[in-house]
Amino acid sequence: MLSIKNLHASVNGEEILKGINLEIKAGEVHAIMGPNGSGKSTLSQVLAGNETFEVTEGEVTLNGDNLLELVTEERAREGVFLAFQYPVEIPGVSNLQFLRTAVNAMRKHRGEEEMNAAEFMKLAKDVSRQVDLDPAFLKRGVNEGFSGGEKKRNEIMQALLLQPKLAILDETDSGLDIDALQVVSNGVNALRADDRAILMVTHYQRLLNHIVPDYVHVLAGGKIVKSGGRELALELEERGYGWLGIDAVDTSN
Amino acid sequence: MKSVPTLSSAFLHPAGQTLPEPLLALRKQRASGLVDMPLPTRKTENWKYSSKYLKLSDDMAISLPAAGKAGNSLAVPGYKVVFTNGVMIPEASEYPDLDGITIQSFSDLNADDAQNLSLQLGGTLNHDQAQFARVNGARFEDGLLIRLKPGAVLDQPLFVIHDTAADACGSAYPRIYVEAGTNSQMTLVEEYTSSGEASALVNTVTEFNLADGANITSIRLNMEGENVQHIGATGVLQARSSRFESHCVGFGGPLRRHDLQVRLEGEGAETKLNGVVVTQNKQHYDNHTSIDHVAAHCTSEETYRNIAADQSHAIFNGRIHIHQDAQKSNANMNNKNLLLNNGAEIDTKPELEIYADDVKCAHGATIGQLDETSAFYLVSRGIGRQQANVLLTMAFINELVSQIPVAAVRETAQLRLNDFFEQTFQEI
Repeated sequence: MLSIKNLHASVNGEEILKGINLEIKAGEVHAIMGPNGSGKSTLSQVLAGNETFEVTEGEVTLNGDNLLELVTEERAREGVFLAFQYPVEIPGVSNLQFLRTAVNAMRKHRGEEEMNAAEFMKLAKDVSRQVDLDPAFLKRGVNEGFSGGEKKRNEIMQALLLQPKLAILDETDSGLDIDALQVVSNGVNALRADDRAILMVTHYQRLLNHIVPDYVHVLAGGKIVKSGGRELALELEERGYGWLGIDAVDTSN
Repeated sequence: MKSVPTLSSAFLHPAGQTLPEPLLALRKQRASGLVDMPLPTRKTENWKYSSKYLKLSDDMAISLPAAGKAGNSLAVPGYKVVFTNGVMIPEASEYPDLDGITIQSFSDLNADDAQNLSLQLGGTLNHDQAQFARVNGARFEDGLLIRLKPGAVLDQPLFVIHDTAADACGSAYPRIYVEAGTNSQMTLVEEYTSSGEASALVNTVTEFNLADGANITSIRLNMEGENVQHIGATGVLQARSSRFESHCVGFGGPLRRHDLQVRLEGEGAETKLNGVVVTQNKQHYDNHTSIDHVAAHCTSEETYRNIAADQSHAIFNGRIHIHQDAQKSNANMNNKNLLLNNGAEIDTKPELEIYADDVKCAHGATIGQLDETSAFYLVSRGIGRQQANVLLTMAFINELVSQIPVAAVRETAQLRLNDFFEQTFQEI
């Protein structure tokens, strides 16, 4: 599904990713953990196609297609979805209009007929209930005035609507209380499918209690320094990152 | 020393003589005052940014002929009056006889009514700030008089379609006068459109005279073509506890100028002015608004948005004058601007003159660009860059467009704005 080979990326001339190698097969859930500043969010943004970051070396393919050759919207249409750590507020564009435009852009790309307003409204209402988001939110501006938890639920709702091949979840658990974490996790678990890969970027192990990954990787200094199974996350929780030879970095925030 | 350019005398000669005598006399008198009228240059303060777009030629002074048939036969959700080149086309107009409301072309007025009107025309405007309204006063061939008796309520919006049919070079001088009696109400929709390809000048004047408690909503859509220069003035006089609400949506052109002057003369009067301007290519648009708080306890709320793309140029000049006796005035002016390209220019200038000491008066102006973070968010969901830009640009003005109270006009404006932006972003 997703294959990353020797990926290097910089921002403003500073190299953040220094040779990432990662293979994710369809149906798998991978978690990337690591201290702050290790490059976790950069990896998510680079995969989604944020042009602020410059890829200087390496390759990324999704089902054999070179992702790096595609602009952001083309990657999305090929099935890449990034749930943002900080979803953007866009007053003046209604959530409904935004979601319908996105869904129809995907349908058009697949050669399917666009959904009309009534059809889409029904679908959107169903999915919003799945993430416990009041359908009234559909009428508000995109993320406008949403609480942190509502924003994250809106991200998962988008993933459920767009049905990506690769879902990248960037710190989806940050800012969530226990109940919201449960709702979001249920949403993510609903996304798990044999033909879909999920990449979770997280700082804390607690999300992994709810969404159990197949593999856990530790990212530090722009490289994956350790990979393992589910138990690696528990070990990190217990022992911190120090035993991996990673410089002591404040991971408390 | 270079001499100041003056208005060509060719512009002082109206074509038709069909108006009632008192109006013909008024026109003649106004024309005599225009001999050697100085044309604005970049040294003329209120035309500083716009004089270079004004291109008058002698053949443009010729009155465009009143076409025999309506240039615009669109159905409207309300009553309709159609003017072509400033002259009413009765066959294309549809409005019933209404109790307490008269809607008449100037040409149809009897001598007494024409006499009364001749004493009122121009009375709502400060012509020193709207110089071209004088030219309209000397040139109008016809006009629309709307009189609402006390308590009269127009039950549907009245659409006045001003179409400029420019099959040959020339000019047109549409004019509207609304006399709103005590506690009367109406919604007037002015649509300025054009057909034909020849260079033309449209010089409009619309006046609203609101008696105590009158409630008037004005919607103005400027949608003429690239061959038409538009100079318009709207004057509003408000008596005690009257309410005026204006929604202007303007699409750029070779020259677009609108002066909107409101005088709050009776206590407790309220005015709300919303404006949206969009320009692209080498288009121009200049809004000059002026609100005079003459009486105490009046409220004004003004919100204008400009969006300029390519090498276009948008101007907003908002003046608020709070007179000495206008205590407890509440005035709020806000102008936000969006520059879509490096080559575009927006000039914004708030002018506040406050002579009373117990007032609330606030103003704010910003100029910004499309937010890249928002754009990335949209495209990361598969939305194309062009469509993302259109969504974000529409978002900048949705707050104002969504307030347009007549649904059909609001939808028309939204569609046209959307088309405009799709064109704007096509090549990016």
